[in-house]
Amino acid sequence: MTSAVSVRGLWKRFGQQVAVAGIDLELPAGKFIGLVGPNGAGKTTTLSMVTGLLRPDQGAVEVVGHDVWRDPVEVKARIGVLPEGLRLFERLTGRELLAYTGRLRGLPGAEVDKRATQLLDVLDLAGAQHKLVVDYSTGMRKKIGLAAALLHNPEVLFLDEPFEGVDPVSAQTIRGVLERYTASGATVVFSSHVMELVESLCDWVAVMAAGRIRAHGPLAEVRGQAASLQQAFLELVGANGRDAGSDLDWLGGGAR
Amino acid sequence: MSADVTGVVVRLKLSLLRNGLRQSGGRRAAYAASAVLVLLFAALQLLGLILLRGNAHADTVVVLLVSVLALGWAVMPLFFPGGDETLDPTRLVMLPLRPRPLVRALLAASLVGIGPLFTLCLLTGSVISVARGGMAYVVGVIGVVLALLVCVALARAVAAANIRLLTSRRGRDLAVLSGLVIAVGAQVVNFGAQRLGSSGLGQLDPAADVLRWVPPASAIGAVESVSEGSYGVGVLQLALSTAALAVLIAVWSRHLTRLMTSPDGSTLQAVTEAAVRERTSTGLARLLPAGRTGTVMERSLRYVWRDPKTKAAWVTSLAIGLIVPLFNALQGTGSIYFACFAAGMLGIQMYNQFGQDTSAFWMVAMTISSPRDAYVELRGRALALLLITLPYAALVTVLTTALLGDWPKLPEVLGLSFALLGAMLATGAWTSARFPYSIPQDGYKNVAPGQTGLAWISIFGGMIAAALLCAPVIAVTIWLNVSEDGEAWSWLLLPVGSAYGATITWLGLRLAAPRTAARLPEILTAVSKG
Repeated sequence: MTSAVSVRGLWKRFGQQVAVAGIDLELPAGKFIGLVGPNGAGKTTTLSMVTGLLRPDQGAVEVVGHDVWRDPVEVKARIGVLPEGLRLFERLTGRELLAYTGRLRGLPGAEVDKRATQLLDVLDLAGAQHKLVVDYSTGMRKKIGLAAALLHNPEVLFLDEPFEGVDPVSAQTIRGVLERYTASGATVVFSSHVMELVESLCDWVAVMAAGRIRAHGPLAEVRGQAASLQQAFLELVGANGRDAGSDLDWLGGGAR
Repeated sequence: MSADVTGVVVRLKLSLLRNGLRQSGGRRAAYAASAVLVLLFAALQLLGLILLRGNAHADTVVVLLVSVLALGWAVMPLFFPGGDETLDPTRLVMLPLRPRPLVRALLAASLVGIGPLFTLCLLTGSVISVARGGMAYVVGVIGVVLALLVCVALARAVAAANIRLLTSRRGRDLAVLSGLVIAVGAQVVNFGAQRLGSSGLGQLDPAADVLRWVPPASAIGAVESVSEGSYGVGVLQLALSTAALAVLIAVWSRHLTRLMTSPDGSTLQAVTEAAVRERTSTGLARLLPAGRTGTVMERSLRYVWRDPKTKAAWVTSLAIGLIVPLFNALQGTGSIYFACFAAGMLGIQMYNQFGQDTSAFWMVAMTISSPRDAYVELRGRALALLLITLPYAALVTVLTTALLGDWPKLPEVLGLSFALLGAMLATGAWTSARFPYSIPQDGYKNVAPGQTGLAWISIFGGMIAAALLCAPVIAVTIWLNVSEDGEAWSWLLLPVGSAYGATITWLGLRLAAPRTAARLPEILTAVSKG
């Protein structure tokens, strides 16, 4: 099995805080891969380092066989990214944003416009294509971000919380596009803290907590004997059986 | 209860200040440096005021100084309403706070900081400068406290009154005017100072006679009145300041209540503005070169028009670049060389290129994989800038020349302008790569908290470097002007200056490109703070 992404000994500290504490990971190509973990587990930091947006303190990352930091020409042409918490060029309209991104990527103008039209159609953004992105809703922003990430037909797509704050209709649209994309042999790596979502979408998962990988492998393997991924995850991070009931006895109706 | 709120808010402000500093050593150093600078200035002013003691015009100076200071406090929030985000009441909307304790708490928190400390120094100096007799010092203490509170309340009242306007997108676009106000204001001050220089301090006495009745200057005026034995007048002046404080706090409190109980203005404008935007597209694109260069230019130019921050910066630069040489020429004090100001002001727009992108810079970073990509990116941005700047600088130079009627000098001033522009572009590109900083899009600051030092290093360091880079051209200009038959050869400066500017821009971009390409993650981190 070839790896789409290969991570070795990846570390990142912010001051005293260790965000990512030595990750080794081989992500198989052609899979729908979920990176799951609670908030603050280091998912965003990891994805930022893997995509070359954040410099790691230590460690190496290879994407489809090319080192992210030594060989950016090969890597950047092959990956698409939808980061979380970073802006887009929001004073462009949806269509202008795609035209801009595609041309920066060096695609011919006519090809960019053709692909943009199709992506805007499929993602239900055609009606809003002449609106400024700054006026888009969260779901629309994620969709235009996804369109921008797909425009150059990357081999590996990295999505940081692509469904966060997205309405069910947009989520279904995004899902449809991603499923079609992976069916053709491409790889999607996405992060989420919603286990149900990961369970229903992914065939391969990596569980992260406190800056480390707790488990990884095909979904069924990671889930093991547990009833659901959620259950398996809680056992992995050791959050099961923590009963807060007695501490919050004042909470709820009745006596103030 | 209210004492609690006050304590909490003051502590909040202190911890926000501390946390802002904790994030990096550079930020700490920059903050310390600016604090030292302000305090040094305050101390000098204090010393100056103490030395002024006994001077016949001391009272005039003091009253005017306090008035100007109060004006500064009033105008400040218009330009930097986010200047104190710890005091942004819209962040406290969800908390069950009554207006009265909230006002008290915010007022107390407003008193923490370098600005109030500076004001305190100046007010204290003013009192020392005019007070005579024990009673005067007692009144002085009351006056200082009162004047300080009026200043702070004034700033808060203005800020609260404007916050609704300033948080809406339309309102933000209006901020474009702030640049004009500063530019015109600077010229007025300049003009005033020249008049003053010619006819002495005595000329200010009538103004001071009025201002000593206007709060908060009246609180300091009271000290002087008491020193001269006019106790009644002094009490009246103090009462005026007290009344002003009460009115300001009432106004502030009312705006605050309305602000915290009505919807955010920013959401109301979104729809209408979107409709307007549809028209302003393409056309221009067809004239630009193909490939990355044209793409980058098109985006940069669109942002000049559409992004309020960028637009404000441009309008400010365009206005000051025009006003300074032209006003000076009109006043007859101008030199034709002031026309270079236009090139200098517009060249500033090359600074912090990536900060202007905000965290959207990641989209650019993802497409830069080699120094060559970075070079084309930077060159595209420089070309977009030149598209506006070159004709504008030429126009300003020609207008200034026409006003002064000094046509033989036109070629050399144009040459100097172009050389300066080239140097600004070169240093701008380099500092963009080396000293990027965030421009927060929300609120009103142009620099993220704690990055002020970085911004000053970037802009002023760059400007000094640009001036030094121009030295050869300046030297040739001077040499041609002093040498006997230099006049005949001064036209040479136009081709020489232009060529020099073009070369140095090219060199600057060449130097900046590998740095940009090597520092992409660091630049992204630096520009993502807003």
